[in-house]
Amino acid sequence: MELLLIPFVFALVAMIIPQKAVRGYALIGALVSVVVGVVHAVNYVPSAEYFSIVEACTTMMGGKLPFFMKYGYDGIGLTMVLLTNVIVFLILLSNYDNQSIAASKKFVALVFFMQFALLGVFLSLDGLLFYIFWELSLIPVFLIFLWFGAKGKRRALMKFFIYTFIGSLAMLFSLIYIRSYAPSFAIEDLVAAQLTTVSALWVFGGFFIAFAVKIPLFPFHTWQPETYTKSPMAGTMLLGALMLKMALFGMIRWMIPLAPEALHCMTEVIVILGGIGVIYAAIIAIKQNDMKTLFAYASISHVGLIAAGIIVLSLDALTGAMVQIVNHSFVAVGLFLAADIIDRRLGHRNLLELGGIAQQAPKFAFWFAVIIFAGVSVPLTSGFIGEFLLIKGIYGYNWMYGVLIGTTLILACVYSFRAYQLSMFGPSKGFEFPDLTWAEWLSFFIVAIVVVFLGVYPQFLIDMVEPGLQKLIEIVNVK
Amino acid sequence: MLALIILFLTALVTLFVGFAKKPLLTLSLSVLGLLGTAAALICQWYHPSDFLSSYEGVNMDGFAILFSLVAIIFTILIIFSGFEQFKSRLDHTADYIGLLIFSLFGAIVMVSFQDMFMFFLGLEILSIPIYVMAGARKDDPLSSESSLKYFITGAFATGILLFGIAWLYGATGTFKIYEIQQFFMEAEQISSLAYVGLLFILSAFLFKIGAAPFHFWSPDVYDGAPAPVTGFMAAVVKLGAFGAFIKLFTIAFSELYDFWMPALTFLAILTMFVGNLSAIRQVRFKRLLAYSSIAHVGYSLITMVVLTNNSALNLWYYLFSYGFATIALITVQMIVNDREDRIEAFKGLGRANPFVGFVAVVALLALAGVPPLMGFFGKFLIFADAISQNPALIAVALLNSGIGIFYYLRTVIVILQKPGVDNEIEQSEFKTTPLQLIVLGICVLAMLFGGGLLMVH
Repeated sequence: MELLLIPFVFALVAMIIPQKAVRGYALIGALVSVVVGVVHAVNYVPSAEYFSIVEACTTMMGGKLPFFMKYGYDGIGLTMVLLTNVIVFLILLSNYDNQSIAASKKFVALVFFMQFALLGVFLSLDGLLFYIFWELSLIPVFLIFLWFGAKGKRRALMKFFIYTFIGSLAMLFSLIYIRSYAPSFAIEDLVAAQLTTVSALWVFGGFFIAFAVKIPLFPFHTWQPETYTKSPMAGTMLLGALMLKMALFGMIRWMIPLAPEALHCMTEVIVILGGIGVIYAAIIAIKQNDMKTLFAYASISHVGLIAAGIIVLSLDALTGAMVQIVNHSFVAVGLFLAADIIDRRLGHRNLLELGGIAQQAPKFAFWFAVIIFAGVSVPLTSGFIGEFLLIKGIYGYNWMYGVLIGTTLILACVYSFRAYQLSMFGPSKGFEFPDLTWAEWLSFFIVAIVVVFLGVYPQFLIDMVEPGLQKLIEIVNVK
Repeated sequence: MLALIILFLTALVTLFVGFAKKPLLTLSLSVLGLLGTAAALICQWYHPSDFLSSYEGVNMDGFAILFSLVAIIFTILIIFSGFEQFKSRLDHTADYIGLLIFSLFGAIVMVSFQDMFMFFLGLEILSIPIYVMAGARKDDPLSSESSLKYFITGAFATGILLFGIAWLYGATGTFKIYEIQQFFMEAEQISSLAYVGLLFILSAFLFKIGAAPFHFWSPDVYDGAPAPVTGFMAAVVKLGAFGAFIKLFTIAFSELYDFWMPALTFLAILTMFVGNLSAIRQVRFKRLLAYSSIAHVGYSLITMVVLTNNSALNLWYYLFSYGFATIALITVQMIVNDREDRIEAFKGLGRANPFVGFVAVVALLALAGVPPLMGFFGKFLIFADAISQNPALIAVALLNSGIGIFYYLRTVIVILQKPGVDNEIEQSEFKTTPLQLIVLGICVLAMLFGGGLLMVH
């Protein structure tokens, strides 16, 4: 409960603090959440129960609401909570030098509110509550985008909101549809509901549309590059690092256990869509010259792989997916930060006009390289662990898909190194490029530490998520 | 009955106090009377037998009390928010308020009727003041057009309704709705007179609530009428008409469910699409509201299509949530006060007056059905209730909510935008009165926390 309340309170208080203190306040607020998250993680004991920690406020409300105020987490949920808190801290930290954004009360309040909604998504154990938080998370991103976005954003903004809203409505359909087979919206009841194959397909389909839009999977991705490019850096980070993780988490927590009857028709479809996304987006990324757009396509490519891995439902692939979810969040923050640093210093991000930055800003070049390596899954970074397990799992499902999707490792090298080479090396194009400030340096440093640490010692993360994943596979097999 | 008597006296007193030409006195007396009516209703709720609750033709049961209370709340809100406009014509303040209360009287009769005769009277008492009010801005041709249009089409619909009642009487031999129900239950063969009568009555209803294909009057009338009257039509008239509609069809025509259900299903879908698709292209705010209201009628009709034990309450809750959002938006429209009522005139509202802008955004999102606002729970209750019977209909309704988000969101963006430098539109001043702020405050509280009302539900 306090996990949820802290960001909410900080969001409210952010409206009334003095202007000068905003930036410091933001960092402290985020740090408090991180600490509370870590305390929860330290006290967490993996158990065989579906949800080890459950808090219900049902009695308080008299049980008359159409949903239960029921929160809780297992290892998976806790990982996501911790991830959210750390990433929010990183987002605020990396924006520290961006005066126009970081010193704005509105911005800080919105980020905390976003954190509140995200934690709600990861913690809620009631279908309707999940839906409410899911929709709630749309509002702060929308406002950040509207108030701080780039010029010509209106079209992208509408596209983004309508796409995701229609997706969520499909999910609402699924939720109330499955509710008519179950006594309440509580997740245990929904999981226990007996569906026919046809109705399971309806339920699965609704969830799938919602998640496919948000992830985004191949035919539903058209909102994403434009939105990422036009939104302010903090908005892109929130979207890329956290919001799409909501969808991946939703697949694990809601879509698969609720309607596993539909899996036998849908697995192949989703693996293929994911695979197409992986290759197609990577090829587009190779040709991009705007750094942010390039990373946006790279993101589509990476998450396609994760989605495909989740749906094949082997323990390896699921574990890989969790590792990769964490890894991708950190890498996304790092990459978008790098793009934004260039944008902030030079006013544009066009690769063809960049070059020679490494001579002027060696620190920046070094840390950027670390992030790029994690992005292309070099061993000893967490990207390697994640992608290796994912591809192993998909290979086990069908070796052909495994091989095809495995090409992502090569394609990722091509677009990432092209971006790095064009921007960092070569003759300088005659511009001043100051090196990193301490806040930027610290952000990069944290990202790099986490990525390398998880690459060397992923076991503690795997231990945390494994019982939950095993339980998931068990539920599917029973049905 | 006591409540009705108090209300009637209030309306009369309001009219006479008007001679004193003291707007504030008129206002306070009328609101006092309305509160008294509400108090009488609440007493009736707890002691049904004491307060002359039943009279031949009118019965204040729980259903009627719930609908009436909401209608009274909405009327008070509208009187508050429109007071500035009423006051600007000093000699007419009392007339406006008095007519509104008479119309409310009609609405309450309509939700508490027991026989078709009372029902018809209620409908007329509801409508005639609105015909007058719609033309209240006498110097504005649009307002006169609105009034004339509403009057002619409305009178026509009334004629059809009366004709339908006559056919029904021919088939069943009674006006009382419970006797009609009894008749249909026992009759071995139902004469086709009854079916014809039902169709006539149905079309008259669809006209009153503004459902497609009987909706053509509503954009013009909403657009031309003075803003408070538009709000009253959207909130109270719709509430009364829907209350009577569901009462008549769940009691008198419950046996003919199989006959009217398919027609209503089709019309619900049609109404949703017509409302949402037409709203997309609107540039004037009240027209947008009119089309959005058509779309909402479509959603509400779902409760009628899928009759369960909760239908009436769901409908009530839905109209409750819808009314708050609409009244808030109408109030905001009065604050913006653009002569041509363009949506673009809302530009910069969020900066010039953050509170009003916030309420407007919340109201728009509530209409769009974004959780956790009250509008979402209204939709949710209807959909969740209906989904096991008719999943396809709910899929269509959700698709329509998806279309709806487009025009609500566009307006939200306009409100939150910076005031443009290049625009040729002169900036409005966004003047507010304390009464309007109170109205907005009440509405926004209701929309934000109205979900909690479900605990009572």
